[in-house]
Amino acid sequence: MSNIVGIEHDRVTNTTSTDFPGYSADSAGSDWDLEKFKKSFNLYISYISERTANFDLVGLDTSVANAFRRIMIAEVPSVAAEYVYIFNNTSVIQDEVLAHRIGLVPLKVDPDQLTWITSEADEKDKFTDDNTIVLSLDVVCTKNPNASPDSTDPDNLYRNHKVYAKHLKFEPQGRQVELFANNPVVPCDPNILLAKLRPGQEISLRVHCILGIGSDHAKYSPVSTASYRLLPVIDIKQPIVGKEALEFQKCFPSGVIDINEKGEAYVKDARKDTVSREVLRHEQFNGKVKLGRQRDHFIFNVESTGAMPPEEIFFKSVRILRNKAEYLRNCPIGNLN
Amino acid sequence: MSREGFVPPTAANLGNAASGIQSIKNYGVKYVCAQCAVNFTLSPKEPVRCKECGHRVLYKARTKRMVQFEAR
Amino acid sequence: MSSIEKKETDNEVDVEMTDAGASGNGTAAANADAIAVDNEEDDVQADRSKITLLPGATSDGFAASFQITDEDHTLGNALRYMIMKNSEVEFCGYSIPHPSENKLNLRIQTYGGMTAVEALHKGLDDLSDLCSHVEEVFSTQVAAKDYSIEEP
Repeated sequence: MSNIVGIEHDRVTNTTSTDFPGYSADSAGSDWDLEKFKKSFNLYISYISERTANFDLVGLDTSVANAFRRIMIAEVPSVAAEYVYIFNNTSVIQDEVLAHRIGLVPLKVDPDQLTWITSEADEKDKFTDDNTIVLSLDVVCTKNPNASPDSTDPDNLYRNHKVYAKHLKFEPQGRQVELFANNPVVPCDPNILLAKLRPGQEISLRVHCILGIGSDHAKYSPVSTASYRLLPVIDIKQPIVGKEALEFQKCFPSGVIDINEKGEAYVKDARKDTVSREVLRHEQFNGKVKLGRQRDHFIFNVESTGAMPPEEIFFKSVRILRNKAEYLRNCPIGNLN
Repeated sequence: MSREGFVPPTAANLGNAASGIQSIKNYGVKYVCAQCAVNFTLSPKEPVRCKECGHRVLYKARTKRMVQFEAR
Repeated sequence: MSSIEKKETDNEVDVEMTDAGASGNGTAAANADAIAVDNEEDDVQADRSKITLLPGATSDGFAASFQITDEDHTLGNALRYMIMKNSEVEFCGYSIPHPSENKLNLRIQTYGGMTAVEALHKGLDDLSDLCSHVEEVFSTQVAAKDYSIEEP
């Protein structure tokens, strides 16, 4: 059976994987074979920028591609603020709301430099220089004595009236002085607004940041988005020429369909298609085009929050899945009591 | 309880006073002026007014106690 | 052999399965295999609650249900796929019985060529082989630096 998922105007067809031995008479030889997988598996990297990676995995099953995606979102560890100790907060933003906002600020910390916190440990020895990053935030808003008298602009009237993520100051503890000497902990995005102040208002607090995973809280997720889509396939069954070709071209995003010198429409770059199915709404193209998606071609898009490079997040997801399999492989099978 | 927040020690609340929840000697409450942000104390009988600028909107000062929150 | 004898006292069903598997294959190799598996289990610090055998296993060991704790669709679906890609396996399915319990139920039935436990272990091995290959290919490609570093 073909590995193209059919896309019709009101339905999808051929959606499930059938590459299992015994599924049908011609499915013999679909037994798992590592050598065969190595031959058929392909990986193309479109681009990897500082924050985003875009790459294709070809020759995988959805269940495995989806596992990588889920692990990137929910199981790759990263560092985020967990405990906020507020000494003073006279701003209009409530303590718990401020604490929540600080928690969501992505921090530029390599998660491999911290160890996991042991929840059973005594409150006293729970936080050490191995497992905790300490940040402090001390901002006092004052009047600007040099403000122009008729000004109504808060930027001119007040000093420190906007509290940004960049005001969070790293306080290295113990061996962290050397460990983080070259890459001090800073928020990935310095201009996240945390609170607004007026003269006389003050925020003074300390933050303990620890390792965590996205399934515990979204603040620990190392990705803004991690998603895949299947490669679109556009199959032109009958030649589409002349005025129709132009209309056909208009049914797709620009760059998907081009028209050759004979005035005939051809597929230039199906990857750019959004599979909007606009073409299927036009009567004149009925039967002339078939839309689909290639079931084993995953176009991944991974956007990092900035704590680590996006390709490393994918690396870690692959390793985590393998560790899961290997750990379970070595577990004795007990009895349910 | 009266609206001023000050209750003269009686037999019923002497326990509170003894345990220091409500200090008998210093019953002045700390305030911050909403206009000029100056800190001062007012005793129960005094008029509600800033001692510096005379502004009549005052905030009660926040506790000096550290408060812990989970960033969730 | 001591490890097997120890199991007979405290872990009845487990022994039943290994024994049945060995006799089902009827080969010395399979017997040796079962012993090897048991020794390996003793090496790691035993996390006996990670995977347990659910009621509903056949006495020959060719069909069994397992309950895995602290796993979800991430491992469940990928593992189900890998186990199904084994021609000895007649059926494999998984379910999360309740969304607020971190438990994963996995059912494996084989045609009789291997036990359900062996099919499970093969599936896990295949899955880690797959991951190793994906990691290898990805790291070669990243190291080759043959890609754009700008978003188009």
